[in-house]
Amino acid sequence: MQVRLLLEVLLLAGIVSGCTSMGVEPWERDILARDEMQLTTDAVEAATDDHIYFSKEASSGGRGFGGGGCGCN
Amino acid sequence: MSSKDHRSISGALAAATCTLLGTATSEPVQAQDEPGWDFNTALLYYAEDDDRVQDLSLNVLSRRVFVDDRFLSLGLTLDALTGASPNGALPQSVPQTFTQPSGRKTYTTPAGDMPIDDTFRDSRVAITANWQQPLGRLYAINVGASASVEYDYTHVGLNARISRDFNKRNTTLSAGLALAQDSLDPVGGAPPGLTQMRNAVDNDDGDGDGDGGNSGPDESKDIVDFVVGVTQVISKNLLVQVNYSYSDASGYLNDPYKILSVVDGTSGDAVPIAPVPGVDSPSHLNFYEHRPDSRRKHSLYSQAKYYMSGKVLDASYRYMTDDWEIDSHTVDLRLRWPTGESQYLEPHLRFYSQSAAEFYRPHLTDGDPLPAYASADYRLGDFDAITAGLKYGWKTGGGNDMHVRLELYRQSGNIAADQLIGNQLDQDNYPDLNAIILQYGYQFGK
Repeated sequence: MQVRLLLEVLLLAGIVSGCTSMGVEPWERDILARDEMQLTTDAVEAATDDHIYFSKEASSGGRGFGGGGCGCN
Repeated sequence: MSSKDHRSISGALAAATCTLLGTATSEPVQAQDEPGWDFNTALLYYAEDDDRVQDLSLNVLSRRVFVDDRFLSLGLTLDALTGASPNGALPQSVPQTFTQPSGRKTYTTPAGDMPIDDTFRDSRVAITANWQQPLGRLYAINVGASASVEYDYTHVGLNARISRDFNKRNTTLSAGLALAQDSLDPVGGAPPGLTQMRNAVDNDDGDGDGDGGNSGPDESKDIVDFVVGVTQVISKNLLVQVNYSYSDASGYLNDPYKILSVVDGTSGDAVPIAPVPGVDSPSHLNFYEHRPDSRRKHSLYSQAKYYMSGKVLDASYRYMTDDWEIDSHTVDLRLRWPTGESQYLEPHLRFYSQSAAEFYRPHLTDGDPLPAYASADYRLGDFDAITAGLKYGWKTGGGNDMHVRLELYRQSGNIAADQLIGNQLDQDNYPDLNAIILQYGYQFGK
């Protein structure tokens, strides 16, 4: 478990350090600022989908918290 | 130039400046700086075939925007559920009678049919509240609470998330924690795990809950969710996110309404119970399921948004593994395709595959020692699922957003041949599922 945690921390650190060379200048964000380029474009649709799949499958969460609050599983 | 000209020019400049300032003060350029409410609403109809579960769901998410990027979000969901759900027992070549969860009556499944409990009816009210605001120049926090109530289930939860921007805001690290406590008060009481399905008693058992069932105490479970993630801008048209999440559930994790058939070790048929005159009893031997009282899940989720000349590809992948030995893979693909100035089509494909829980089994075998845990709940079995859908969205005359979407969801399961006995090998033992999802959404006030 500890080895796994260490690997995850190293992976995260790698991602962050690798990321410093990527990206755009503030004035290059016109496309990234569009509604359809947000990670969650429709919070209600995302929540209803999460709820459906939480009820019918053994997995949940990932995008955010695990969901739930329902006796359906 | 005369002094009079000077005065008129400075007057005009002053007037122009005031006009500009006045305009800027009364109508801020940035919509997010203007306090006000916006609403995201949706009506969802979810229906499974073979008269199984149907859900009509109304969802409202309202958001009050304050100055300085501060938001208050309030959500309300109302669900009306009806229909039937597979109870876990195997189909038989003869009719089968089961006791309803209430413990007061029985229901009968025809020969050859997948046993489903059609007494399922529920309504659900869920509310959420979240507050988000920046903390200094680079941090943002979000704190919230959630609650939901059903006839037999209550949920309360708290959550908090913090994020920090790095690298000209091209990199965002975030961490979040959610705590929930859910309590269950099952119809007919929570049956002890791996005990025989009781006989129906057609009167109140006098324990005050108006049914003839078990008088066991209410049950509860605690859930702790932890998420850390990194969001990275790769280029002008590519954004990616990677999240790791950990979830720990402990307490009563059984489904109190699910059972397993107890079958003969040679024929594979459910063991019949000799009827007793005057007693309304199940026709075959069935045991209530029993799951471990803790579950730890790990998930790795990655998502990319890619803009390509007007179209936007949204692709995500999730891997989940848990200590019930369930592994799952989920791939989700959406392509937003503009079809005009203010409308778009969005095809959606989702692929899902999971392995069975270590204690999943299609039945218990008569005469064998009882296992520590057992469940025949199809949702803990080995299955694949696919969702295919299409969404059409457009802007109304008033500048608001509307959409409709239709999706088809299909699950097909596999039970390993070495888990089946005798006659079971010649029949369909897994309750495959087909469902439609129809949603109408309207966003206004932005």
